[in-house]
Amino acid sequence: MAAPILLTESLNLFYGNFQALKNVNLSVAGRRITSIIGPSGCGKSTLLRVFNRMNDLVEGARVTGRVLLDGEDIYAPGTDLLSLRKKVGMVFQRPNPFPISVFENILFGLRVHQLAGKSKDRLREIVKESLESVLLWEDLKDRLNGLATNLSLEQQQRICIARLFVVRPEVLLMDEPCSALDPLATARIEELMQELKKNYTIVIVTHNMQQAARVSDDTGYMYLGELVEFGATQKIFTTPRDKRTEDYITGRAG
Amino acid sequence: MRTLSPRLTQRIAFSILFAATLFVILPVAFIIGVILKNGLGAVNWEFLTAMPRASMREGGILPAIVGTFCLVAGAVLFALPLGLCAAIYLSEYSKDSRLNRAVRLAIVNLAGVPSVVFGLFGLALFVGFFRFGASILAGSLTLGLMILPVIITSSREALDAVPGSFREVSLSLGATKLQTIKYAVLPHALPGILTGTILGVGRAAGETAPILFTVAAFYLPRLPRSIFDQAMALPYHLYVLSTQVPNVAPKIRYGTALVLLAIVLLMNFLAIAIRSHFRAKKKW
Repeated sequence: MAAPILLTESLNLFYGNFQALKNVNLSVAGRRITSIIGPSGCGKSTLLRVFNRMNDLVEGARVTGRVLLDGEDIYAPGTDLLSLRKKVGMVFQRPNPFPISVFENILFGLRVHQLAGKSKDRLREIVKESLESVLLWEDLKDRLNGLATNLSLEQQQRICIARLFVVRPEVLLMDEPCSALDPLATARIEELMQELKKNYTIVIVTHNMQQAARVSDDTGYMYLGELVEFGATQKIFTTPRDKRTEDYITGRAG
Repeated sequence: MRTLSPRLTQRIAFSILFAATLFVILPVAFIIGVILKNGLGAVNWEFLTAMPRASMREGGILPAIVGTFCLVAGAVLFALPLGLCAAIYLSEYSKDSRLNRAVRLAIVNLAGVPSVVFGLFGLALFVGFFRFGASILAGSLTLGLMILPVIITSSREALDAVPGSFREVSLSLGATKLQTIKYAVLPHALPGILTGTILGVGRAAGETAPILFTVAAFYLPRLPRSIFDQAMALPYHLYVLSTQVPNVAPKIRYGTALVLLAIVLLMNFLAIAIRSHFRAKKKW
């Protein structure tokens, strides 16, 4: 396994008095797909939101332990949240493009990072690249000024992924990105993930075990805030070491 | 005791509800009808663009129209930035529920203050204490205070109605909080803010009491030259025509009322049009 890009050491997270993550030690390798599975409320989404510090927005959330991105502790005092979130992009459960044009949606990240002042042609170039990387350019090149919210859910989710690329992230966090999509759309997004893996490190949270088995290289099973087991996906699904993991993947629990 | 059949009960209930609904429409239709019937004959180009003559018994009402527009514009210039900033703070920043409660209470109370009290307050503060004198400035500020609650409340509702996911996405893309508000929240709240502001404007245009002591001139047949000038205004002019000047042709009174009513209704229709236009486009 390559050197980890993301690493947690004795990570604990509390919401007030409730401990949502318990001593999580996880290492995510670069340019692979790592999936986190587990029953609802096990803390998998919380863990995902540790990596771009979106949990900071929750009142009363508190973290102990270390989380290293490229060897740097992202919870160290003085961490620049803005550049962290540029490096670590997030795709949400429900496709959530802004109710503005496709073009403006893709460029939202640029606007925010004041890389504006680019020529119209350059901006179109950027939009083209982003949409090409999610295989939407051919479909949408004549509809860039249409509302993104008028597209199909699958296309909307692709736009949400494409929107991340303009700020050049390294890691893509995906929080059940297919749960609002039908099986065909899900299959196509999964294909896309295989494509994206060549350039990005992907961490996906899913409660769809088949999805985890299909798309991911490594899998972690979480239960009640603990990372019960972590390893190569094949191993987790064929020869789990922990009884709890076995119960879950064979459908006896969760 | 015989009970009525359910079908009959239903029919009676329906009739009562229908009658109540009609009853609401009736006075509006009646007011508009009477004013249109009596005033339409007076309204012509000269009436809208000429100075009043012969102690307001002849001529037009131009200075009152201009005065009202100046007052309303001034009120919005003052109240919109202030109210919007307050609404943004309350909706996006403040987590302190005690401050929130206190402000909400203050807004409710501010909205409940009788307009004549606003007038007296404006007289004491702007005309007297700040020495603006009776002027468009003093009148605008007084009207601005009066519509402040409308603007804060509607802006806040508009901001709160913007889905949290917009903020989340924006922040997750590395935007600061201020950028998030500027790019991901405000644009989508703008229609609601605009609607509230226009409703406030409609209200400000029609009020008499707040301008009575702070700006309104009894008879000033010229256009205001600066914000420190007194000015005529439509609602006060109507009051003067109706009670202070003997032998005014009813046509002129009704014509003035018609112009005022038209301005206020136009504002309301504009607000409704904006709201429905954006509601049709809204998809989240």
